[in-house]
Amino acid sequence: MEKEAIPAATKYPEKPITLIVPFGVGGGIDLVARTVEKSASTHLGQPLVVINKPGGTGTIGWNEVASASPDGYTLAMTGIEIILQPLYGPTKFHYPSALEPIAQITELSLIMAVQADQPWNTLEDLIAYAKEHPGEIKFGHPGIGGINHVLGETFAKTANIQLEQVPFQSGAEAMSNLLGGHIQVVFLNPAAVKEQLKAGKVKALALGGEKRLTDPIFATIPTFKEQGLDVVCNSWNGIAAPKGLPEDVKKKLSEGIKKVIDDPEFQRNMENLGLQVTYLGPDDSAKKWLIDSQQLTKTVQETGIAENIKTQKK
Amino acid sequence: MDILNLLLQGISVSIIPVNLLSCTIGVLIGTLVGVLPGIDTVSAIALLLPFSYGMDSTAALIMFAGIYYGSKYGGSTTSILINVPGEAASVVTCLDGYPMGQKGRAGAALAISAIGSFIAGTIGLIGLTLLAPPLAQAALVFGPPEYFSLALVGLILLSRLTGTSALKSALMAVIGIMLSTIGLDSLSGISRFTFGIDELDRGFDLSILAMGLFGIGEILTAMTHAEAKPDIPSVKFRDLYPTKKEWQRSITPMFRGGIVGFLVGLLPGPAATISSFISYGLEKRCSKHPEEFGHGAIEGVAGPESANNSAISATMIPLLSLGLPFCGATAILLSGFMIHGITPGPSLITERPELFWGLIASMYIGNVLLLIINLPLIGVFVQLLKTPLNILMPLVAVVTLTGAYSINNSMFDLIWVIFFGILGFLLQRVGFEPSPLIIGLVLGPELERGLTQGLIICNGSIWALITRPITATILSIGAVAILYNFVTWFTKYDNTRKELDI
Repeated sequence: MEKEAIPAATKYPEKPITLIVPFGVGGGIDLVARTVEKSASTHLGQPLVVINKPGGTGTIGWNEVASASPDGYTLAMTGIEIILQPLYGPTKFHYPSALEPIAQITELSLIMAVQADQPWNTLEDLIAYAKEHPGEIKFGHPGIGGINHVLGETFAKTANIQLEQVPFQSGAEAMSNLLGGHIQVVFLNPAAVKEQLKAGKVKALALGGEKRLTDPIFATIPTFKEQGLDVVCNSWNGIAAPKGLPEDVKKKLSEGIKKVIDDPEFQRNMENLGLQVTYLGPDDSAKKWLIDSQQLTKTVQETGIAENIKTQKK
Repeated sequence: MDILNLLLQGISVSIIPVNLLSCTIGVLIGTLVGVLPGIDTVSAIALLLPFSYGMDSTAALIMFAGIYYGSKYGGSTTSILINVPGEAASVVTCLDGYPMGQKGRAGAALAISAIGSFIAGTIGLIGLTLLAPPLAQAALVFGPPEYFSLALVGLILLSRLTGTSALKSALMAVIGIMLSTIGLDSLSGISRFTFGIDELDRGFDLSILAMGLFGIGEILTAMTHAEAKPDIPSVKFRDLYPTKKEWQRSITPMFRGGIVGFLVGLLPGPAATISSFISYGLEKRCSKHPEEFGHGAIEGVAGPESANNSAISATMIPLLSLGLPFCGATAILLSGFMIHGITPGPSLITERPELFWGLIASMYIGNVLLLIINLPLIGVFVQLLKTPLNILMPLVAVVTLTGAYSINNSMFDLIWVIFFGILGFLLQRVGFEPSPLIIGLVLGPELERGLTQGLIICNGSIWALITRPITATILSIGAVAILYNFVTWFTKYDNTRKELDI
């Protein structure tokens, strides 16, 4: 049936499509990729095969995709790191221009959380405490220069308080240190906070998004903006291809991916992971990359993160 | 009793045919992963994730868990038979398991490690059943300063496991630490000692080094001796199993290993590997005949092989009751859970009791299955020794290299496996024992991270760091141990001098 529908010139896809995840198995982005993999074959006509190529904060995997032939058979999972990494020093490719977006799958509004038995119930309480005790509050995040770190520093700068950052290897490690009382604050994505929030082990003080989240567990968390601070920092995950896909391939691919994302089962699976599906098509994603690039270039300079990393690299 | 009821409910879930079948498939795959050198647990589960998409979630989780704990059963097989560890957690088993095999006691060593695995695995499971939530809470008390002190004391005490000179061992441990600093620093995000080579950013994976130094290294050693193949006494059926004396010597190490493994398993890091080294060190210290270690002391197989299994059960505690994976293998298990719509966390026990208890019950069943699978296999494995080395070793090399590739899907890693293989071969030749290098590689990053994070947490004061109650206790234990070593060394030296009448 399908054969009749497709003109001879565009037989794509004829073989399984490789989706490279430039991070290790088990991370948040890997889970998104595997949720796509799970629903893909019915909508794409061919299986999607996830391959992990971890290392170098994503650069090893993205380098491989950026130098792959643009035939639609090698794709990459992307995240906000493709914008951030080139800001910290030379990378082999300038990813925002060496790759082209096919879709944005999800947008993650980061959550600022503290241990449940801390005396702070609002952002105001914490800011007041931090003003009296400069440098005493330590915040954890999974990796220097990552979006969680950027959010933490942006918050501290906007609120005009001094927070010390403690880097961890993963969100889970930051969370266990928060629960153990070794640090006081974490900035993590909703999935990493959900279970602890549900069990009443942590309190969420603020959300990094423009709007509140819809999931009832998160719906009560006010945004930074609602609490009078101009702090917005969102992370996202999507799929991209090497620049220069043939028009027809790009069209079929983005339509196929859109069908995957519209699939109710996919949406349910994402919801289970604590992730909100926020679809953007190829053009809208490209616009977003541009806006994020401009915004983050400014942020990492103003917060001193870029400078900090560059001096260490020397 | 409440827990007993819940466990019985769990058993009723886990003996549903589909779940029982998944459990069997899981432990079978796990055994295979363990036996085949180079294939590690994380890549095996990652490879199988897509095949589980159509499965019922409980069945899928039972299968993944089966692969995980099953892999630690078979790990010792190749250590004992051909001196090539099947898993990083069985590196230390080579030290005494292989000499036992050379003496014709391979069957006994395999049997002891299977039974030890079963006993310790069950000890771990009992701990998991009774104490999961409070223990998970207790584990959180350990922060970066505590890990720093544990890693420091561990490095000092463990680097002298083997019989070779203290200087050589220390040198190997230091090289291990140095190797661990190569790559992208996980805390600062800076590439260190990579000379601009992107692939080096990933650093050296523990499995890559273990496969190279021990796997390929041993294959090379064996091939240079291929002509003069040692005469392995042909094993009679009755000799396949341990003698009464071997039993008596193994039973305490099994329990001791079980407890050590369980405690280490509660902490972050590659617990199975670390616990096997600690158990080996402990057995050597407790043994009445420490001089036999390294020459086929059965305690050196019984302890570590038990420890790594109970460590596995313990690593499930933070995963299931907090939703926090403390090591690579539980991180991939967490992924497996989440893809099937299950999010482990503090509320898992109350929200999905049938799943939680079903999984735990399946682990009891899986342990029994593993024992049933492994004991008869011993006879088969021992027969493998009859295969001529020039056929066996190339096969082992192929499997090892395939496994090494599968870890990061990287050709670059293969080059390193071969490089470390040649290095391991040369080190053995000149009398360096490479296992302290593995200890340096595992504990080095823990030491560095613990210190960096710990100092930030303690506002930059090293004094505040080392006087935290747990840190101070651990460091004092370390200091006492060093002092004790020093005193015994000094009295020995003094005695030798007197004997020689100098």
